[in-house]
Amino acid sequence: MTGASVAVLGVVRSGPSYWFESLGAMLRWYLTSMRLLLPVFVVVQMLIASGFSVGISFFFEEITPEAALFLGTGASIIALILAGVVVAPQLIASEKDAGTYDFSWSLPVPRSANVTAWVMLNAVIGIPSMVAALVIADWRLDLDFSLSWTIAPAVVLALTCGTLIGSAVAHAIDRTSITQLLSQVFAFGILGFTPITYPIENLPTWLGSVHRVLPFYHMGVIVRGGLTDGRGDGMWASFGVVFGWTLAAAIATALVVGRRK
Amino acid sequence: MNDWVFRAEGVTKSYDGGKTFANRDVSIEVRPGEVYGLLGPNGAGKSTFVKQVIGLLKPDTGSLHLGQHDLVADPDAARQFCSYLPQATMPIESFKVHEAVRLTGRIRGGSKSATDERGEELIDALQIREWRDTLGTKLSGGVRRLVGFIMVTVVPGRVVILDEPTNDVDPLRRRLLWEQVRLLGQMGAAVFLVTHNVLEAEKSVDRLAIISDGELVAEGTPSSLKVADRGRLRLQLMMVPGTPTPELPSMVRDHSRVGNNLMAMIDEDRAGDGIAWARRAMADGLAEEYALAATTLEDAYIRLTGHTSDNGVREVTV
Repeated sequence: MTGASVAVLGVVRSGPSYWFESLGAMLRWYLTSMRLLLPVFVVVQMLIASGFSVGISFFFEEITPEAALFLGTGASIIALILAGVVVAPQLIASEKDAGTYDFSWSLPVPRSANVTAWVMLNAVIGIPSMVAALVIADWRLDLDFSLSWTIAPAVVLALTCGTLIGSAVAHAIDRTSITQLLSQVFAFGILGFTPITYPIENLPTWLGSVHRVLPFYHMGVIVRGGLTDGRGDGMWASFGVVFGWTLAAAIATALVVGRRK
Repeated sequence: MNDWVFRAEGVTKSYDGGKTFANRDVSIEVRPGEVYGLLGPNGAGKSTFVKQVIGLLKPDTGSLHLGQHDLVADPDAARQFCSYLPQATMPIESFKVHEAVRLTGRIRGGSKSATDERGEELIDALQIREWRDTLGTKLSGGVRRLVGFIMVTVVPGRVVILDEPTNDVDPLRRRLLWEQVRLLGQMGAAVFLVTHNVLEAEKSVDRLAIISDGELVAEGTPSSLKVADRGRLRLQLMMVPGTPTPELPSMVRDHSRVGNNLMAMIDEDRAGDGIAWARRAMADGLAEEYALAATTLEDAYIRLTGHTSDNGVREVTV
Protein backbone atom coordinates (compact mmCIF):
# COMPACT_ATOMS: atom_id res chain seq x y z
CA MET A 1 0.00 0.00 0.00
CA THR A 2 1.53 3.28 -1.02
CA GLY A 3 1.27 6.28 1.21
CA ALA A 4 -0.86 7.94 -1.50
CA SER A 5 -2.10 11.28 -0.52
CA VAL A 6 -3.27 11.77 3.00
CA ALA A 7 -3.81 15.41 3.38
CA VAL A 8 -2.43 16.53 0.13
CA LEU A 9 -3.50 19.89 1.41
CA GLY A 10 -1.75 22.05 3.91
CA VAL A 11 -3.83 25.03 2.94
CA VAL A 12 -7.43 25.56 1.97
CA ARG A 13 -7.71 25.50 -1.79
CA SER A 14 -9.29 28.51 -3.46
CA GLY A 15 -9.10 30.56 -6.64
CA PRO A 16 -10.43 30.26 -10.18
CA SER A 17 -8.61 27.06 -11.18
CA TYR A 18 -9.92 25.25 -8.08
CA TRP A 19 -13.41 26.57 -8.85
CA PHE A 20 -13.39 25.44 -12.48
CA GLU A 21 -11.85 22.05 -11.65
CA SER A 22 -14.60 21.58 -9.06
CA LEU A 23 -17.27 22.61 -11.57
CA GLY A 24 -15.97 20.11 -14.12
CA ALA A 25 -15.75 17.31 -11.58
CA MET A 26 -19.22 17.97 -10.15
CA LEU A 27 -20.75 18.19 -13.61
CA ARG A 28 -19.23 14.79 -14.44
CA TRP A 29 -20.53 13.53 -11.09
CA TYR A 30 -24.12 14.68 -11.76
CA LEU A 31 -24.15 13.58 -15.40
CA THR A 32 -22.90 10.12 -14.48
CA SER A 33 -25.25 9.80 -11.55
CA MET A 34 -28.17 10.72 -13.85
CA ARG A 35 -27.18 8.71 -16.88
CA LEU A 36 -29.75 5.95 -16.36
CA LEU A 37 -32.57 8.44 -15.79
CA LEU A 38 -31.56 11.29 -18.05
CA PRO A 39 -33.07 9.89 -21.28
CA VAL A 40 -36.30 9.14 -19.41
CA PHE A 41 -36.50 12.68 -18.04
CA VAL A 42 -35.87 14.19 -21.47
CA VAL A 43 -38.55 12.03 -23.10
CA VAL A 44 -41.12 12.73 -20.38
CA GLN A 45 -40.51 16.49 -20.55
CA MET A 46 -40.72 16.35 -24.31
CA LEU A 47 -44.02 14.44 -24.21
CA ILE A 48 -45.58 16.84 -21.72
CA ALA A 49 -44.60 19.85 -23.77
CA SER A 50 -45.45 18.48 -27.20
CA GLY A 51 -48.77 17.16 -25.93
CA PHE A 52 -49.99 20.73 -26.27
CA SER A 53 -49.17 21.25 -29.90
CA VAL A 54 -50.24 17.75 -30.92
CA GLY A 55 -53.51 17.99 -28.97
CA ILE A 56 -54.36 21.40 -30.35
CA SER A 57 -53.66 20.27 -33.91
CA PHE A 58 -56.16 17.44 -33.45
CA PHE A 59 -58.77 19.76 -31.96
CA PHE A 60 -58.77 22.55 -34.55
CA GLU A 61 -59.03 21.77 -38.21
CA GLU A 62 -57.74 25.19 -39.18
CA ILE A 63 -55.28 27.18 -37.16
CA THR A 64 -53.83 30.54 -38.18
CA PRO A 65 -50.04 30.67 -38.70
CA GLU A 66 -49.80 33.26 -35.94
CA ALA A 67 -51.69 31.10 -33.44
CA ALA A 68 -49.66 28.08 -34.52
CA LEU A 69 -46.44 29.96 -33.87
CA PHE A 70 -47.67 31.04 -30.44
CA LEU A 71 -48.72 27.54 -29.47
CA GLY A 72 -45.70 25.76 -30.90
CA THR A 73 -43.08 28.06 -29.42
CA GLY A 74 -45.03 28.14 -26.15
CA ALA A 75 -44.95 24.35 -25.91
CA SER A 76 -41.19 24.27 -26.33
CA ILE A 77 -40.72 27.07 -23.80
CA ILE A 78 -42.75 25.09 -21.27
CA ALA A 79 -40.36 22.14 -21.71
CA LEU A 80 -37.48 24.44 -20.85
CA ILE A 81 -39.11 26.00 -17.82
CA LEU A 82 -40.38 22.71 -16.39
CA ALA A 83 -36.85 21.28 -16.42
CA GLY A 84 -35.74 23.96 -13.99
CA VAL A 85 -38.81 24.64 -11.89
CA VAL A 86 -40.19 21.10 -11.63
CA VAL A 87 -37.47 18.55 -12.36
CA ALA A 88 -34.72 20.27 -10.33
CA PRO A 89 -36.64 20.35 -7.01
CA GLN A 90 -37.86 16.78 -7.55
CA LEU A 91 -34.29 15.58 -8.00
CA ILE A 92 -33.11 17.41 -4.89
CA ALA A 93 -36.04 16.04 -2.88
CA SER A 94 -35.27 12.51 -4.02
CA GLU A 95 -31.63 12.99 -2.94
CA LYS A 96 -32.89 14.02 0.48
CA ASP A 97 -35.23 11.02 0.64
CA ALA A 98 -32.44 8.62 -0.29
CA GLY A 99 -30.18 10.15 2.35
CA THR A 100 -27.52 11.00 -0.20
CA TYR A 101 -27.98 14.77 0.08
CA ASP A 102 -25.53 15.04 2.99
CA PHE A 103 -22.83 13.29 1.00
CA SER A 104 -23.26 15.53 -2.06
CA TRP A 105 -23.00 18.69 0.02
CA SER A 106 -20.10 17.45 2.16
CA LEU A 107 -17.86 17.15 -0.90
CA PRO A 108 -14.87 19.51 -0.88
CA VAL A 109 -16.00 21.81 -3.66
CA PRO A 110 -17.13 25.44 -3.56
CA ARG A 111 -20.88 25.46 -3.17
CA SER A 112 -21.23 27.99 -5.98
CA ALA A 113 -19.45 25.52 -8.32
CA ASN A 114 -21.73 22.73 -7.10
CA VAL A 115 -24.86 24.83 -7.79
CA THR A 116 -23.53 25.88 -11.22
CA ALA A 117 -22.95 22.22 -12.13
CA TRP A 118 -26.52 21.58 -11.04
CA VAL A 119 -27.86 24.33 -13.33
CA MET A 120 -25.84 22.85 -16.20
CA LEU A 121 -27.30 19.41 -15.52
CA ASN A 122 -30.77 20.91 -15.85
CA ALA A 123 -29.71 22.43 -19.16
CA VAL A 124 -28.88 18.93 -20.34
CA ILE A 125 -32.46 17.92 -19.51
CA GLY A 126 -34.18 21.14 -20.59
CA ILE A 127 -32.54 22.05 -23.90
CA PRO A 128 -33.04 18.70 -25.72
CA SER A 129 -36.65 18.64 -24.44
CA MET A 130 -37.17 22.13 -25.79
CA VAL A 131 -35.66 21.33 -29.18
CA ALA A 132 -37.65 18.11 -29.50
CA ALA A 133 -40.88 19.89 -28.57
CA LEU A 134 -40.13 22.53 -31.20
CA VAL A 135 -39.48 19.91 -33.90
CA ILE A 136 -42.74 18.11 -33.08
CA ALA A 137 -44.68 21.38 -33.08
CA ASP A 138 -43.17 22.28 -36.44
CA TRP A 139 -44.20 18.88 -37.81
CA ARG A 140 -47.80 19.15 -36.57
CA LEU A 141 -48.40 22.90 -36.97
CA ASP A 142 -45.91 23.93 -39.66
CA LEU A 143 -44.38 26.82 -37.76
CA ASP A 144 -43.04 29.94 -39.36
CA PHE A 145 -40.20 30.53 -36.88
CA SER A 146 -36.87 32.22 -37.43
CA LEU A 147 -34.02 32.11 -34.95
CA SER A 148 -32.36 35.24 -33.65
CA TRP A 149 -29.08 35.51 -31.72
CA THR A 150 -31.08 36.43 -28.62
CA ILE A 151 -32.19 32.79 -28.32
CA ALA A 152 -28.86 31.89 -26.68
CA PRO A 153 -28.97 34.37 -23.76
CA ALA A 154 -32.75 33.85 -23.47
CA VAL A 155 -32.46 30.08 -23.05
CA VAL A 156 -29.52 30.35 -20.63
CA LEU A 157 -31.27 32.98 -18.54
CA ALA A 158 -34.68 31.24 -18.47
CA LEU A 159 -33.11 27.92 -17.59
CA THR A 160 -30.84 29.37 -14.91
CA CYS A 161 -33.67 31.36 -13.39
CA GLY A 162 -36.04 28.39 -13.31
CA THR A 163 -33.43 26.01 -11.90
CA LEU A 164 -32.37 28.44 -9.19
CA ILE A 165 -35.99 29.07 -8.15
CA GLY A 166 -36.66 25.32 -8.03
CA SER A 167 -33.40 24.65 -6.19
CA ALA A 168 -33.93 27.38 -3.61
CA VAL A 169 -37.33 25.91 -2.78
CA ALA A 170 -36.02 22.35 -2.60
CA HIS A 171 -32.97 23.21 -0.49
CA ALA A 172 -34.98 25.39 1.88
CA ILE A 173 -37.78 22.92 2.63
CA ASP A 174 -36.84 19.95 4.82
CA ARG A 175 -40.01 17.95 4.24
CA THR A 176 -39.62 16.46 0.80
CA SER A 177 -43.32 15.66 0.49
CA ILE A 178 -43.99 19.41 0.55
CA THR A 179 -41.32 20.01 -2.08
CA GLN A 180 -42.88 17.34 -4.30
CA LEU A 181 -46.29 18.89 -3.82
CA LEU A 182 -45.01 22.38 -4.61
CA SER A 183 -43.33 21.14 -7.78
CA GLN A 184 -46.71 19.76 -8.88
CA VAL A 185 -48.29 23.12 -8.14
CA PHE A 186 -45.58 24.77 -10.25
CA ALA A 187 -46.18 22.28 -13.05
CA PHE A 188 -49.93 22.84 -13.19
CA GLY A 189 -49.56 26.57 -12.69
CA ILE A 190 -47.14 26.86 -15.59
CA LEU A 191 -49.00 24.49 -17.91
CA GLY A 192 -52.46 25.92 -17.35
CA PHE A 193 -52.40 29.32 -15.76
CA THR A 194 -49.34 31.00 -17.23
CA PRO A 195 -49.68 32.96 -20.49
CA ILE A 196 -47.01 31.07 -22.42
CA THR A 197 -49.14 29.14 -24.91
CA TYR A 198 -51.70 31.94 -25.14
CA PRO A 199 -51.49 35.78 -25.00
CA ILE A 200 -51.46 37.47 -21.59
CA GLU A 201 -54.38 39.65 -22.70
CA ASN A 202 -56.61 36.55 -22.63
CA LEU A 203 -56.23 36.27 -18.86
CA PRO A 204 -58.38 38.14 -16.32
CA THR A 205 -56.72 41.50 -15.66
CA TRP A 206 -55.69 40.65 -12.11
CA LEU A 207 -54.03 37.38 -13.13
CA GLY A 208 -52.28 39.18 -15.97
CA SER A 209 -50.92 41.71 -13.46
CA VAL A 210 -49.64 38.91 -11.26
CA HIS A 211 -47.81 37.39 -14.22
CA ARG A 212 -46.19 40.69 -15.11
CA VAL A 213 -44.42 40.45 -11.74
CA LEU A 214 -43.65 36.70 -11.73
CA PRO A 215 -40.83 35.49 -13.98
CA PHE A 216 -42.55 32.69 -15.94
CA TYR A 217 -44.48 34.83 -18.45
CA HIS A 218 -41.33 36.89 -19.06
CA MET A 219 -39.28 33.72 -19.60
CA GLY A 220 -41.79 32.89 -22.33
CA VAL A 221 -41.45 36.34 -23.88
CA ILE A 222 -37.66 36.29 -24.11
CA VAL A 223 -37.40 32.74 -25.45
CA ARG A 224 -40.19 33.35 -27.96
CA GLY A 225 -38.39 36.53 -29.00
CA GLY A 226 -35.36 34.40 -29.88
CA LEU A 227 -37.50 31.95 -31.85
CA THR A 228 -39.46 34.58 -33.79
CA ASP A 229 -36.72 37.04 -34.65
CA GLY A 230 -37.65 39.47 -31.95
CA ARG A 231 -41.34 39.69 -32.77
CA GLY A 232 -43.49 40.74 -29.85
CA ASP A 233 -43.24 43.75 -27.62
CA GLY A 234 -41.24 44.34 -24.53
CA MET A 235 -38.65 41.59 -25.01
CA TRP A 236 -35.86 43.66 -23.44
CA ALA A 237 -38.00 44.66 -20.49
CA SER A 238 -38.75 40.97 -19.98
CA PHE A 239 -35.01 40.21 -20.08
CA GLY A 240 -34.68 42.70 -17.22
CA VAL A 241 -37.42 41.05 -15.16
CA VAL A 242 -36.00 37.54 -15.66
CA PHE A 243 -32.51 38.78 -14.86
CA GLY A 244 -33.79 40.34 -11.62
CA TRP A 245 -35.49 37.09 -10.63
CA THR A 246 -32.34 35.11 -11.49
CA LEU A 247 -30.30 37.35 -9.22
CA ALA A 248 -32.84 37.05 -6.39
CA ALA A 249 -33.06 33.25 -6.82
CA ALA A 250 -29.24 32.99 -6.85
CA ILE A 251 -29.04 34.89 -3.58
CA ALA A 252 -31.81 32.76 -2.06
CA THR A 253 -30.09 29.55 -3.22
CA ALA A 254 -26.74 30.71 -1.84
CA LEU A 255 -28.37 31.41 1.51
CA VAL A 256 -30.20 28.09 1.81
CA VAL A 257 -27.46 25.89 0.36
CA GLY A 258 -24.85 27.27 2.73
CA ARG A 259 -27.20 27.21 5.68
CA ARG A 260 -26.17 24.98 8.54
CA LYS A 261 -29.00 24.18 10.86
CA MET B 1 2.91 25.55 11.63
CA ASN B 2 -0.24 23.45 11.89
CA ASP B 3 -0.27 20.61 14.41
CA TRP B 4 -3.39 19.01 12.80
CA VAL B 5 -4.78 18.02 16.19
CA PHE B 6 -8.58 17.91 16.20
CA ARG B 7 -10.11 19.69 19.16
CA ALA B 8 -13.79 19.97 20.08
CA GLU B 9 -14.55 22.14 23.08
CA GLY B 10 -17.92 22.46 24.77
CA VAL B 11 -19.89 21.61 21.62
CA THR B 12 -23.58 22.05 22.37
CA LYS B 13 -26.67 22.04 20.21
CA SER B 14 -30.27 22.18 21.33
CA TYR B 15 -33.65 22.08 19.66
CA ASP B 16 -37.10 23.25 20.72
CA GLY B 17 -35.74 26.40 22.34
CA GLY B 18 -33.27 24.57 24.56
CA LYS B 19 -35.61 21.78 25.71
CA THR B 20 -33.95 18.96 23.76
CA PHE B 21 -30.19 18.60 23.46
CA ALA B 22 -28.72 16.97 20.36
CA ASN B 23 -25.38 17.28 22.12
CA ARG B 24 -24.25 18.95 25.26
CA ASP B 25 -20.81 20.21 26.22
CA VAL B 26 -18.90 17.63 24.17
CA SER B 27 -15.12 18.08 24.37
CA ILE B 28 -12.77 15.75 22.53
CA GLU B 29 -9.17 15.86 21.36
CA VAL B 30 -7.92 13.51 18.65
CA ARG B 31 -4.34 13.43 17.39
CA PRO B 32 -3.23 12.56 13.85
CA GLY B 33 -2.84 8.80 13.57
CA GLU B 34 -5.45 7.99 16.21
CA VAL B 35 -8.51 5.88 15.54
CA TYR B 36 -11.14 7.33 17.81
CA GLY B 37 -14.46 5.61 18.42
CA LEU B 38 -17.74 7.39 19.08
CA LEU B 39 -20.06 4.86 20.69
CA GLY B 40 -23.61 5.26 21.79
CA PRO B 41 -27.14 4.04 21.18
CA ASN B 42 -29.22 5.32 18.26
CA GLY B 43 -30.16 8.94 18.79
CA ALA B 44 -27.34 9.53 21.28
CA GLY B 45 -25.93 12.39 19.21
CA LYS B 46 -22.99 10.68 17.49
CA SER B 47 -24.06 11.53 13.94
CA THR B 48 -25.01 15.05 15.01
CA PHE B 49 -21.47 15.55 16.27
CA VAL B 50 -19.77 14.36 13.08
CA LYS B 51 -22.15 16.44 10.96
CA GLN B 52 -21.02 19.45 12.99
CA VAL B 53 -17.41 18.56 12.23
CA ILE B 54 -18.01 18.29 8.47
CA GLY B 55 -20.03 21.51 8.43
CA LEU B 56 -23.52 20.15 7.73
CA LEU B 57 -24.78 21.26 11.14
CA LYS B 58 -23.70 24.17 13.29
CA PRO B 59 -23.25 23.98 17.06
CA ASP B 60 -25.06 26.61 19.15
CA THR B 61 -21.98 27.05 21.29
CA GLY B 62 -18.53 25.54 21.53
CA SER B 63 -15.68 25.29 19.07
CA LEU B 64 -14.28 22.77 16.59
CA HIS B 65 -10.68 23.21 15.46
CA LEU B 66 -8.37 21.21 13.25
CA GLY B 67 -4.95 22.62 14.09
CA GLN B 68 -5.28 26.34 13.49
CA HIS B 69 -8.39 26.01 11.33
CA ASP B 70 -11.69 26.97 12.91
CA LEU B 71 -14.11 24.45 11.37
CA VAL B 72 -17.24 26.25 12.60
CA ALA B 73 -16.25 29.61 11.13
CA ASP B 74 -14.83 28.07 7.96
CA PRO B 75 -17.00 25.19 6.70
CA ASP B 76 -15.10 25.23 3.37
CA ALA B 77 -11.98 24.20 5.29
CA ALA B 78 -14.01 21.53 7.10
CA ARG B 79 -15.17 20.02 3.80
CA GLN B 80 -11.67 20.12 2.33
CA PHE B 81 -9.85 18.62 5.31
CA CYS B 82 -12.43 16.02 6.36
CA SER B 83 -13.62 12.97 4.41
CA TYR B 84 -17.07 11.78 5.42
CA LEU B 85 -18.75 8.41 4.92
CA PRO B 86 -22.37 9.01 5.96
CA GLN B 87 -24.53 6.29 7.44
CA ALA B 88 -26.88 6.44 4.42
CA THR B 89 -26.25 4.57 1.19
CA MET B 90 -23.91 6.22 -1.27
CA PRO B 91 -25.52 7.65 -4.45
CA ILE B 92 -23.73 5.38 -6.89
CA GLU B 93 -26.58 3.59 -8.69
CA SER B 94 -25.42 4.83 -12.08
CA PHE B 95 -21.69 4.49 -11.46
CA LYS B 96 -19.42 1.58 -12.14
CA VAL B 97 -17.31 0.98 -9.05
CA HIS B 98 -14.07 2.29 -10.55
CA GLU B 99 -15.84 5.39 -11.93
CA ALA B 100 -17.26 6.29 -8.53
CA VAL B 101 -13.85 5.89 -6.92
CA ARG B 102 -11.98 7.86 -9.56
CA LEU B 103 -14.49 10.70 -9.69
CA THR B 104 -14.67 11.23 -5.92
CA GLY B 105 -10.88 11.06 -5.79
CA ARG B 106 -10.71 13.84 -8.38
CA ILE B 107 -13.39 15.85 -6.55
CA ARG B 108 -11.28 15.47 -3.40
CA GLY B 109 -8.36 17.08 -5.23
CA GLY B 110 -6.28 13.97 -5.91
CA SER B 111 -4.19 13.75 -9.06
CA LYS B 112 -5.41 11.32 -11.70
CA SER B 113 -2.51 8.90 -11.33
CA ALA B 114 -2.43 8.88 -7.50
CA THR B 115 -6.23 8.45 -7.36
CA ASP B 116 -6.19 5.57 -9.83
CA GLU B 117 -3.26 3.87 -8.13
CA ARG B 118 -4.69 3.99 -4.63
CA GLY B 119 -8.22 3.24 -5.85
CA GLU B 120 -7.08 0.02 -7.51
CA GLU B 121 -5.06 -0.91 -4.40
CA LEU B 122 -8.09 -0.47 -2.17
CA ILE B 123 -10.29 -2.46 -4.56
CA ASP B 124 -7.80 -5.32 -4.20
CA ALA B 125 -7.28 -4.85 -0.48
CA LEU B 126 -11.03 -5.14 0.20
CA GLN B 127 -11.34 -7.99 -2.30
CA ILE B 128 -14.03 -6.45 -4.48
CA ARG B 129 -12.17 -6.60 -7.82
CA GLU B 130 -14.85 -8.83 -9.34
CA TRP B 131 -17.28 -5.88 -9.08
CA ARG B 132 -14.85 -3.23 -10.38
CA ASP B 133 -16.85 -2.74 -13.60
CA THR B 134 -20.29 -3.38 -12.12
CA LEU B 135 -22.97 -0.69 -11.88
CA GLY B 136 -24.01 0.43 -8.39
CA THR B 137 -27.59 -0.77 -8.93
CA LYS B 138 -26.30 -4.34 -9.20
CA LEU B 139 -24.16 -4.29 -6.05
CA SER B 140 -25.17 -5.84 -2.73
CA GLY B 141 -25.50 -3.51 0.26
CA GLY B 142 -22.22 -4.72 1.74
CA VAL B 143 -20.20 -4.15 -1.44
CA ARG B 144 -21.78 -0.71 -1.83
CA ARG B 145 -20.67 0.09 1.70
CA LEU B 146 -17.11 -0.95 0.87
CA VAL B 147 -17.17 1.14 -2.32
CA GLY B 148 -18.34 4.07 -0.20
CA PHE B 149 -15.38 3.51 2.11
CA ILE B 150 -12.99 3.57 -0.86
CA MET B 151 -14.64 6.71 -2.24
CA VAL B 152 -14.03 8.69 0.93
CA THR B 153 -10.55 7.32 1.63
CA VAL B 154 -9.05 7.18 -1.87
CA VAL B 155 -7.85 10.71 -1.15
CA PRO B 156 -8.31 10.83 2.61
CA GLY B 157 -8.56 14.07 4.51
CA ARG B 158 -6.70 14.95 7.68
CA VAL B 159 -9.81 13.75 9.46
CA VAL B 160 -11.67 10.70 8.17
CA ILE B 161 -15.20 10.26 9.52
CA LEU B 162 -16.72 6.81 9.13
CA ASP B 163 -20.34 6.50 10.24
CA GLU B 164 -21.14 2.78 10.72
CA PRO B 165 -18.71 1.69 7.98
CA THR B 166 -19.24 -2.05 8.41
CA ASN B 167 -23.05 -2.10 8.08
CA ASP B 168 -24.07 -4.99 5.79
CA VAL B 169 -20.43 -6.03 5.22
CA ASP B 170 -19.59 -9.74 5.50
CA PRO B 171 -17.27 -10.89 8.33
CA LEU B 172 -14.25 -11.55 6.11
CA ARG B 173 -14.33 -8.16 4.46
CA ARG B 174 -15.07 -6.47 7.76
CA ARG B 175 -11.67 -7.63 8.90
CA LEU B 176 -10.09 -6.29 5.72
CA LEU B 177 -11.85 -3.00 6.23
CA TRP B 178 -10.55 -2.69 9.80
CA GLU B 179 -7.03 -3.24 8.48
CA GLN B 180 -7.54 -0.30 6.13
CA VAL B 181 -8.89 1.83 8.96
CA ARG B 182 -5.70 1.09 10.93
CA LEU B 183 -3.61 1.97 7.86
CA LEU B 184 -5.39 5.32 7.57
CA GLY B 185 -4.16 6.04 11.08
CA GLN B 186 -0.66 5.03 10.10
CA MET B 187 -0.87 7.39 7.13
CA GLY B 188 -1.43 10.22 9.55
CA ALA B 189 -5.19 10.75 9.39
CA ALA B 190 -7.27 11.13 12.54
CA VAL B 191 -10.11 8.62 12.14
CA PHE B 192 -13.52 9.08 13.74
CA LEU B 193 -15.36 5.81 13.92
CA VAL B 194 -19.06 6.15 14.69
CA THR B 195 -20.68 2.90 15.70
CA HIS B 196 -22.94 1.13 18.10
CA ASN B 197 -21.16 -2.16 17.52
CA VAL B 198 -19.12 -2.21 20.71
CA LEU B 199 -17.27 -5.46 20.15
CA GLU B 200 -15.94 -4.32 16.78
CA ALA B 201 -14.93 -0.97 18.18
CA GLU B 202 -13.08 -2.58 21.06
CA LYS B 203 -10.70 -4.28 18.63
CA SER B 204 -10.25 -1.34 16.29
CA VAL B 205 -9.98 1.92 18.19
CA ASP B 206 -7.14 3.53 20.12
CA ARG B 207 -9.47 5.56 22.28
CA LEU B 208 -13.19 6.02 22.41
CA ALA B 209 -15.92 8.18 23.81
CA ILE B 210 -19.24 6.81 24.97
CA ILE B 211 -22.07 9.21 24.22
CA SER B 212 -25.50 8.94 25.75
CA ASP B 213 -28.35 11.44 25.40
CA GLY B 214 -25.99 13.90 23.72
CA GLU B 215 -23.45 13.88 26.53
CA LEU B 216 -20.03 12.34 26.68
CA VAL B 217 -20.36 9.92 29.61
CA ALA B 218 -16.93 8.27 29.42
CA GLU B 219 -13.73 8.55 27.46
CA GLY B 220 -10.51 6.56 27.34
CA THR B 221 -8.83 3.49 25.92
CA PRO B 222 -10.96 0.34 25.72
CA SER B 223 -8.95 -1.14 28.61
CA SER B 224 -9.35 1.90 30.83
CA LEU B 225 -13.13 1.83 30.37
CA LYS B 226 -13.22 -1.79 31.49
CA VAL B 227 -11.39 -1.06 34.76
CA ALA B 228 -14.62 -0.88 36.76
CA ASP B 229 -15.48 -4.39 35.61
CA ARG B 230 -12.06 -5.81 36.46
CA GLY B 231 -12.28 -8.82 38.75
CA ARG B 232 -15.75 -9.66 37.45
CA LEU B 233 -17.08 -12.26 35.09
CA ARG B 234 -20.11 -12.26 32.87
CA LEU B 235 -22.50 -15.15 33.43
CA GLN B 236 -24.87 -15.39 30.53
CA LEU B 237 -28.03 -17.52 30.66
CA MET B 238 -30.22 -18.28 27.67
CA MET B 239 -33.63 -18.45 29.31
CA VAL B 240 -36.45 -20.72 28.14
CA PRO B 241 -38.78 -18.44 26.12
CA GLY B 242 -41.61 -17.10 28.24
CA THR B 243 -40.02 -17.79 31.61
CA PRO B 244 -39.66 -14.93 34.06
CA THR B 245 -36.27 -13.80 35.35
CA PRO B 246 -35.52 -16.02 38.37
CA GLU B 247 -34.68 -14.62 41.74
CA LEU B 248 -31.06 -13.53 41.59
CA PRO B 249 -28.58 -14.62 44.28
CA SER B 250 -26.71 -11.95 46.19
CA MET B 251 -23.46 -12.61 44.31
CA VAL B 252 -24.97 -11.01 41.21
CA ARG B 253 -23.62 -7.46 41.12
CA ASP B 254 -25.54 -6.26 38.15
CA HIS B 255 -27.76 -7.82 35.52
CA SER B 256 -29.66 -7.10 32.36
CA ARG B 257 -32.09 -9.07 30.26
CA VAL B 258 -32.86 -8.58 26.59
CA GLY B 259 -35.35 -11.08 25.22
CA ASN B 260 -34.31 -14.48 26.53
CA ASN B 261 -30.74 -13.41 27.13
CA LEU B 262 -29.98 -12.83 30.83
CA MET B 263 -26.57 -11.37 31.61
CA ALA B 264 -25.34 -11.30 35.21
CA MET B 265 -22.07 -9.83 36.50
CA ILE B 266 -20.43 -11.82 39.27
CA ASP B 267 -17.11 -11.58 41.13
CA GLU B 268 -14.33 -13.79 39.80
CA ASP B 269 -13.95 -15.67 43.10
CA ARG B 270 -17.63 -16.66 43.03
CA ALA B 271 -17.36 -18.34 39.61
CA GLY B 272 -18.06 -21.79 41.09
CA ASP B 273 -21.20 -20.56 42.86
CA GLY B 274 -22.34 -18.83 39.70
CA ILE B 275 -22.01 -22.01 37.65
CA ALA B 276 -23.90 -23.97 40.32
CA TRP B 277 -26.73 -21.41 40.22
CA ALA B 278 -26.87 -21.49 36.43
CA ARG B 279 -27.03 -25.28 36.41
CA ARG B 280 -29.84 -25.19 38.94
CA ALA B 281 -31.76 -22.79 36.69
CA MET B 282 -31.32 -25.29 33.84
CA ALA B 283 -32.39 -28.20 36.03
CA ASP B 284 -35.51 -26.22 37.04
CA GLY B 285 -36.37 -25.76 33.34
CA LEU B 286 -35.84 -21.99 33.44
CA ALA B 287 -32.69 -21.79 31.30
CA GLU B 288 -31.54 -23.69 28.23
CA GLU B 289 -27.80 -23.02 28.43
CA TYR B 290 -25.24 -20.81 30.10
CA ALA B 291 -21.80 -19.36 29.42
CA LEU B 292 -19.21 -17.82 31.71
CA ALA B 293 -16.85 -15.31 30.11
CA ALA B 294 -14.50 -12.42 30.78
CA THR B 295 -16.10 -8.99 30.77
CA THR B 296 -15.89 -6.96 27.57
CA LEU B 297 -16.25 -3.34 26.64
CA GLU B 298 -19.91 -4.09 26.06
CA ASP B 299 -20.40 -4.52 29.81
CA ALA B 300 -18.92 -1.07 30.41
CA TYR B 301 -21.12 0.28 27.63
CA ILE B 302 -24.25 -1.22 29.21
CA ARG B 303 -23.26 0.15 32.61
CA LEU B 304 -22.70 3.65 31.21
CA THR B 305 -25.58 4.01 28.77
CA GLY B 306 -28.28 1.68 30.04
CA HIS B 307 -28.44 0.13 26.58
CA THR B 308 -27.15 -3.08 25.11
CA SER B 309 -25.13 -2.57 21.96
CA ASP B 310 -27.98 -3.81 19.78
CA ASN B 311 -30.03 -1.00 21.30
CA GLY B 312 -32.25 -3.10 23.48
CA VAL B 313 -32.94 -1.36 26.75
CA ARG B 314 -31.73 -3.10 29.87
CA GLU B 315 -34.38 -4.42 32.18
CA VAL B 316 -33.14 -3.59 35.66
CA THR B 317 -30.00 -2.44 37.37
CA VAL B 318 -29.18 -4.00 40.71
